[in-house]
Amino acid sequence: MVGLSVGEKHFIQGGVAQDLRCDGRKRLTYRPIYLETGVIPQANGSARVRMGATEVIASVKAELGRPTPLQPDKGKVSIYVDCSPTAEPAFEGRGGDELSTELSTALQCCLLGGKSGAGAGIDLSSLIVVEGKICWDLYIDGLVVSSDGNLLDALGAAIKAALSNTGIPKVNVAASASGDEQPEVDVSDEEFLQFDTSGIPVIVTLTKIGRHYVVDATSEEESQMSSAVSISVNRKGHICGLTKRGGAGLDPSIILDMVSVAKHVSEQLLEKLDSEIAAAEADEGES
Amino acid sequence: MEYVSPEGLRLDGRRPMEMRQIRAEIGTIMKADGSAVFEMGNTKVVAAVYGPREVQNRGQQISDKALVRCEYSMANFSTGDRMRKPKGDRRSTEISLVIRQTMEESILTHLMPRSQIDIYVQVLQADGGTRSACINAATLALADAGIPMRDLVTSCSAGYLNSTPLLDLNYVEDSAGGPDVTLGILPKLDKVTLLQMDSKLPIDIFENVMQLATEGCKAVANYIRELLLENTKELEYRRGV
Amino acid sequence: MLHSKSFVKKSRAGRVTKVVREHYLRDDIYCGASICKVCDSSVARLSASASTILVLDTNVVLNQIDLLENPAIDDVVVLSVVLDEVKNKNMAVYNRLRALCSNSLRKFFVFSNEHHKDTYVKEMSGESKNDRNDRAIRVASQWYQSHLGDEVRVLLITNDRENRRKAVEEGIFAETVESYVKSLGQPDLLDLLVQPASEDVDMAEVEDLRPSKRKVIYNEHKPMSEITSGLHRGIYHQGKLRVNRYNPFEAYVGSESIGDEIVIYGRTNMNRAFDSDIVAVELLPQDQWHEEKSLSIAEDEEDEEDVHLVPSSADDAPRTTLPQQDSSRETNPVSYRPFGRVVGIIKRNWHSYCGSLEPMPMPAGSGSVANALFVSKDRRIPKIRIQTRQLENLLDKRIIVAVDSWDFLSRYPSGHYVRTIGEIGDRDTESEVVLIENDIISRPFSAQVLACLPPLPWSVSPIDLSNPNRMDLCHLRVFSVDPPGCKDIDDALHCSTLPNGNFEVGVHIADVTNFVFPGTPLDDEAAQRGTSTYLVERRIDMLPKPLTEDICSLRADVERLAFSVIWEMTPEAEVISTRFTKSIIKSSAAMSYVEAQARMDDSRLMDPLTTDLRNMNTLAKIMRLRRIDRGALTLASAEVKFQIDTETHDPLDIGMYQIREANQMVEEFMLAANVSVAKQILDHFPLCSLLRRHPTPTREMLEPLLRTAAAVGLHLDVSSSKALADSLDHALGDDPYFNKLIRILATRCMTQAVYFCSGDLSRPEYHHYGLAAPLYTHFTSPIRRYADVIVHRLLAASLNIDKLPSIFQDRPQLTSISDNLNYRHRNAQMAGRASVELHTLIYFRKRPTDAEARIVKIRSNGFIVFVPKYGIEGPVYLTSRAEKGGGEWYVDEPQQKIKKMDGSLSYSVLQAVKIHMEVVEPQPNRPKLQLTLI
Repeated sequence: MVGLSVGEKHFIQGGVAQDLRCDGRKRLTYRPIYLETGVIPQANGSARVRMGATEVIASVKAELGRPTPLQPDKGKVSIYVDCSPTAEPAFEGRGGDELSTELSTALQCCLLGGKSGAGAGIDLSSLIVVEGKICWDLYIDGLVVSSDGNLLDALGAAIKAALSNTGIPKVNVAASASGDEQPEVDVSDEEFLQFDTSGIPVIVTLTKIGRHYVVDATSEEESQMSSAVSISVNRKGHICGLTKRGGAGLDPSIILDMVSVAKHVSEQLLEKLDSEIAAAEADEGES
Repeated sequence: MEYVSPEGLRLDGRRPMEMRQIRAEIGTIMKADGSAVFEMGNTKVVAAVYGPREVQNRGQQISDKALVRCEYSMANFSTGDRMRKPKGDRRSTEISLVIRQTMEESILTHLMPRSQIDIYVQVLQADGGTRSACINAATLALADAGIPMRDLVTSCSAGYLNSTPLLDLNYVEDSAGGPDVTLGILPKLDKVTLLQMDSKLPIDIFENVMQLATEGCKAVANYIRELLLENTKELEYRRGV
Repeated sequence: MLHSKSFVKKSRAGRVTKVVREHYLRDDIYCGASICKVCDSSVARLSASASTILVLDTNVVLNQIDLLENPAIDDVVVLSVVLDEVKNKNMAVYNRLRALCSNSLRKFFVFSNEHHKDTYVKEMSGESKNDRNDRAIRVASQWYQSHLGDEVRVLLITNDRENRRKAVEEGIFAETVESYVKSLGQPDLLDLLVQPASEDVDMAEVEDLRPSKRKVIYNEHKPMSEITSGLHRGIYHQGKLRVNRYNPFEAYVGSESIGDEIVIYGRTNMNRAFDSDIVAVELLPQDQWHEEKSLSIAEDEEDEEDVHLVPSSADDAPRTTLPQQDSSRETNPVSYRPFGRVVGIIKRNWHSYCGSLEPMPMPAGSGSVANALFVSKDRRIPKIRIQTRQLENLLDKRIIVAVDSWDFLSRYPSGHYVRTIGEIGDRDTESEVVLIENDIISRPFSAQVLACLPPLPWSVSPIDLSNPNRMDLCHLRVFSVDPPGCKDIDDALHCSTLPNGNFEVGVHIADVTNFVFPGTPLDDEAAQRGTSTYLVERRIDMLPKPLTEDICSLRADVERLAFSVIWEMTPEAEVISTRFTKSIIKSSAAMSYVEAQARMDDSRLMDPLTTDLRNMNTLAKIMRLRRIDRGALTLASAEVKFQIDTETHDPLDIGMYQIREANQMVEEFMLAANVSVAKQILDHFPLCSLLRRHPTPTREMLEPLLRTAAAVGLHLDVSSSKALADSLDHALGDDPYFNKLIRILATRCMTQAVYFCSGDLSRPEYHHYGLAAPLYTHFTSPIRRYADVIVHRLLAASLNIDKLPSIFQDRPQLTSISDNLNYRHRNAQMAGRASVELHTLIYFRKRPTDAEARIVKIRSNGFIVFVPKYGIEGPVYLTSRAEKGGGEWYVDEPQQKIKKMDGSLSYSVLQAVKIHMEVVEPQPNRPKLQLTLI
């Protein structure tokens, strides 16, 4: 929904080509990231991430459920994203559904890995309470409150922060149940288990504008992109997921190039995020 | 259930005539023309205003005044038990309508013919009194967008439990099943623009409860006015006036 | 100041939700001490002279509430954290504590420490809820000490060793209850103390001093988690335990999961459960069902069946257990009831009990601590072990004792002394016991209640006269007919001839709601009392005396306010029109039943009043016939009447209450008024009317009646109330008393009618079986029944005279009111019966008598007889107890006969026998009426 004049378009493209973008950034520089955790007290974990005028909230809710018969030793995680019309009038009514679905799927494949759950950033077997009977189901909800491009990276960062903010109540299982019966569980009030979030990847989206690609594109820049590749990379530098969006074709060699750039960028992003998360947690603890 | 202890304290420690803590912030969504966050205790609402702008759907254009539209939505995580809330369910349609009607009344729509104003309210956390919080947030967002208004509409709820009128019910008190009066007023003009009540209440008690809700609205109005004044001063300062 | 709390809640469906609540901390919560210079002293409750202020720990409140209620304990700070904990653990204690806090004579102050900014305590990680609350109590105590300075000593009373230790470490004065009470120097207070749990004190003293000999008497209760999962899986069943009033070894648990009653037999199976505890029950294997023999009258030496009044409904009657021979199992379907045993107690319903100590020799060295066994008046309660320092004082007294605990190693529960009522056998004491036992509120009306009364002397004011809603009916010839000496006249009648030959009949009921306004202390008190209670020598009023006997009472020759139902009736008693109005009446005569009857019978009298009476009587007879045609049951009860000595209040004579035509006449019009009003209020308020229903008895309930009837060759058709009424009419034997006897037996098979809120049930369930009326309510006695007050308000609202009070919009509240009314109503009846039983005993104490009696039930060692003349029922033994079950006699079950082995003698049910009645005292202070065969 960005209406740009021809001159403006040229200005953006030219800027990208010369490594000096409209807001003064270089091609591989992020906007300042502002991060806050525990914003939704009712959730088990939550975080708000602001990058420029982009603002997203992610929340994690844990519910007790039954593992699927195929994977009796693993919990379940699902991700839903909602685009609020406050971010863009176009999201009004069902207008945001398409984008919401696109973001949800992209996040799922970047963070949750394949169907088997292998390669997921979240250790699904840590969610199991009683094998084959009770597990934790994590529902991750993202909400786009304000949008100015690069929603996927922002959501990815918010989810990572929300997960590290998540505390899951400790569960005591009555031992007596046997056979097919669903065991009785007792949820403890205070003891919270923290997640190991070190394996959760970050998402780096490289947006191709003209012959170059940039990170953290604003909506103006995104309107000029030919295609974009989102790559999720974890701390070890492993690529956990990848999606390509946008119409234009890409030369395979460029993709490989993008991957290696992404890997490089992700290191800085991870570091930045980790320190922000730590600061935010400390902040929350104080108040 | 004892909602007011014999010592005169409610479950959360307030006295019957006290509101929850309110907090508001203007201009939180940069892309919008006007926006605000409004919190009443644990209830937290974001409102964004887009417009006045060209009417998107020509058919809806009104020749002598502005078209005001409103959409209310609740985030999945806004309530204690998480559920996917389908958009446009009856409840949110109804609240959208209530907010639109309430706000439309205060906007000087005749000054902006053939244009459109969109109000979007998004509930981030619901803990009772969402309607009131939405209206208060929308008022702030409209003011932030610089849309001409007759007066600042403010809203507050009040209820009646344990034979005591209570101001600004939270979720627990709201779900007690007692009457819940949501009131919206134009404080300067001293007019009621919104009045809703569920369940029965004898008239003489209703009078007291409504009086209490009016007090609440006025308190909110004072807060909002101060906040806007401060915001304007800051704007002046930034512009170097 | 804001602080937000969060906790995890698990819903029923196993879903886990995190709940977040705000928690505001304030700086305007005051300390409540008069000496405090900082706080607002207008709310202060603690006395200025207090040198010590007590802060109580939760365990102290929970266990020692009897002590706290003693005025010796005062200047107490009750922390809100303690209140909350008490509320969660024991609602009854919570209510008592709340009553103490609101009692203006006591100095109990509630300090909302949880919302005070300086005393709020945040949970630390790894700290249990209990530890946190204990810490909160200590923090609050410390705050008090520093807030009030050195002039007072703030003393934390706690029996939690750990809490006390920490408190002392933190520099707080802390003591146990025992040491505090000892320091007060009032030894009798020590009796009120609950004994600490068994680990601290040697509990085995009474049973055996050698610990090795202590044996496990009861099974240990299962832990709560196991019970929940057991209930979940259907292994255990939850329900309220009800102990058979006439056989404390037998109890029933109504289980929803089984849809039947589970019989719990014997103390071992009851496993320390008390009557009306909520218990978890496990079924016994089927081969253990029916193993117990409850055929004989008495089970055990300590538990004999007593002589008692004839039950008036199934609710009062001894429960019929199954026919106990195994052979009858196939033949009798009723017997197929499961047996079970209690595995755990989900909720205790312990309260305090009335009774006396079991006689025992005085221990050497008086004044020392003695262990004694307490025997409750209520036979359903087991003996309770208490410790006392005043044994010699208590032995001949009626006392109240509260239960504290019941260890699985001890045969009896342990408790503590609460207070003394008076000497055993003293009439006032025993009457007091009757009141306490039945939870009758007999305290004097408080000043606040009395303040609601209109100024005296009261008379009809011009405002009443000019009220457009009130009709002046003073010109009508209104009269009242009541029992002799009745002072609370709440109904009056009139009957005038209309020009068209029809009659105008009016029922005028005292307009109580004109004086008792909803929401006033007077109304609250009346609602709580529910009904007046009539003892033999005394009446406990629902409303204060000026209202009961004067302002509301429709006495002769004074103008009184009334609420009237007026019908136009044809001479055939067809109702043409009904109207309701508030009115002013002036009764021309207040007659007794005897007087009214005499007037009607005296053919010489032709005065207008007598004519009115005769007209009404004619109408009433037609109405009565019609009602009986519809299937209303004429049930009989054996009500007795005492003649009481006006000076000593001792009974002088005793006899069956005689029912005259005049009684029936008044009754008939009251029924009609109630039915008319029921229709009117239900039409206007279909969801919130208070009605009265009488459930149709099930076949199972009528079983004992049918068995008895079959034994004497009588066939009763119980398919409908009409059929039953007809077959009762045809039940005629050679014996003139036979029919009445059968009716009495029928009556006791039925449950009582109950009040209910119309919104809670569906229309067919409104039916009143006994009256064969589809709708019924109570309207005619507002002075002595609160239900009628409610109905008056409904009726007034339906006529747009008054607004409907807001309480009627609150269905759950309305339901709880009707539950309370049923409870109070029943208790008042039980108290009335108990009072009659008491006076029967007093009467026969000086007058051993011979009388004719009927056998109503056959037992293995004798039979139960009914003495019509005195309306009492009791056992007659054929064999002495020592040779229990000893083979001389055997029972012929189908014939309902008990026969001597050699065939020389036999007694059958309904047979007339001669008996001798005498009061004996087998044990000191335990007089009882003994029946022997002549």
